[in-house]
Amino acid sequence: MRTLSAFAAVCAGTLAMASSIGTVPRSTATQYPAHTVSDQVAIGAVKLNEQAVRKIFSSDLNRCCIVVELAIFPTKDHPAKISLGDFSLRIANTDTAVRPSGAKVVASSLQRKAGSDHNVTVSPQFGVGYESGTYNDPNNHGPYNNGRQQRSSGVYTSAGVGVGIGSNQSGSTREDLVSMETELSEKGLPEGTATAPVAGHLYFPISKKKNVKYQIEYTMDGQKMTVALPE
Amino acid sequence: MGLQYLREVSAMRWAAVAAFTLIAACSFAQEPSAPPESSSSAQAESKPPETKNFAKDEDQIVNDSRWHLHLGTISFGTGYSYFSSPYYGPYGFYPYSAFYSGMLWDPYWGYLYPSGYFNYNDGKGEVRLAAPKQSDVYLDNAYAGKAEKLKSIWLKPGAYDLSVSNQDHASYHQRIYVLSGKSLKIEAKLEAKTQSPQTEEKP
Repeated sequence: MRTLSAFAAVCAGTLAMASSIGTVPRSTATQYPAHTVSDQVAIGAVKLNEQAVRKIFSSDLNRCCIVVELAIFPTKDHPAKISLGDFSLRIANTDTAVRPSGAKVVASSLQRKAGSDHNVTVSPQFGVGYESGTYNDPNNHGPYNNGRQQRSSGVYTSAGVGVGIGSNQSGSTREDLVSMETELSEKGLPEGTATAPVAGHLYFPISKKKNVKYQIEYTMDGQKMTVALPE
Repeated sequence: MGLQYLREVSAMRWAAVAAFTLIAACSFAQEPSAPPESSSSAQAESKPPETKNFAKDEDQIVNDSRWHLHLGTISFGTGYSYFSSPYYGPYGFYPYSAFYSGMLWDPYWGYLYPSGYFNYNDGKGEVRLAAPKQSDVYLDNAYAGKAEKLKSIWLKPGAYDLSVSNQDHASYHQRIYVLSGKSLKIEAKLEAKTQSPQTEEKP
């Protein structure tokens, strides 16, 4: 009885973890643009484009990573052991592959990157004015030998530019680091044993290339699964 | 007057030339910012082992600094003044200096000067909230105010639980992550209470 209750507590804990970290998985793996199914687990994945990354994340992940949303659907009798080390992103038909980075590493690199940035602000301004008035012209004598009143008018223009240089870029402070780490951690794929479907994001520190096909590789209990990611 | 006019024209030309030079210099300074995408990927491809060394990526990240060129306020101004008293300068009639007032057109005059103009942020981030006016806004379960007065909220960097509720609608919940100098746009769409409450994940 005790063993049973302990098992129930573990299962409840696992489910609680899955619901508090990561994202809400879609109903089935086939709902994802890329998916694969084995006897033990089904996997769905989608590579986020830059626009989607900007929409989902406050952190500027487009600067460092390829982000993949991945969902795992374990079968009833086979809980899935999820670890970041079991995943890799490979450029199709090459030997180049990377493993996902943890939230702390990605946040740290983003913060350092932001800290090395510089801002230059250029503020041009232009002005146009018109003035008219009278003045005494001493060279032009009037009837009483005094300066004759002359009327004159003119348009004046002005132009200027202000330049400001600073290095305080968004995401460069210590508090930003904590915020980014929290976000990436909370939206990342949860690690541990999952008995229910879980989903989250994986951050692969690799530069984006155009017209290149990527594939996700997942190794579970020695069995390798491959999911080709569409563009 | 003629001499003065020539001086004015000359000064303006120099100012224009200086402005263009500065803008050109800034644009030039931006160019090295382009991330060395091709070189980094070439390094990655030439590496025979199956997994990539992350340390190399971090080195690239550290060296990859960028220059961001922001165009600030462009100000155009016009003015008109009339003076009745005569004024005669050392070079003849001088219609500018005696009665010239920046107040007429200068956008930086007096209270119009935007404080902290070159300072993008003071370590806070902005949350721009779009929600029904009479909705109540909560941050981390603490009441923050009515939505109509909280269209722009400045917060310290961090993670917050944002809730927007209204008597006639279901509550809207969202976890937000604020970064300094960054603006988050949140559109809280409240649904009628007859429907089941919905929790949205992230913008």
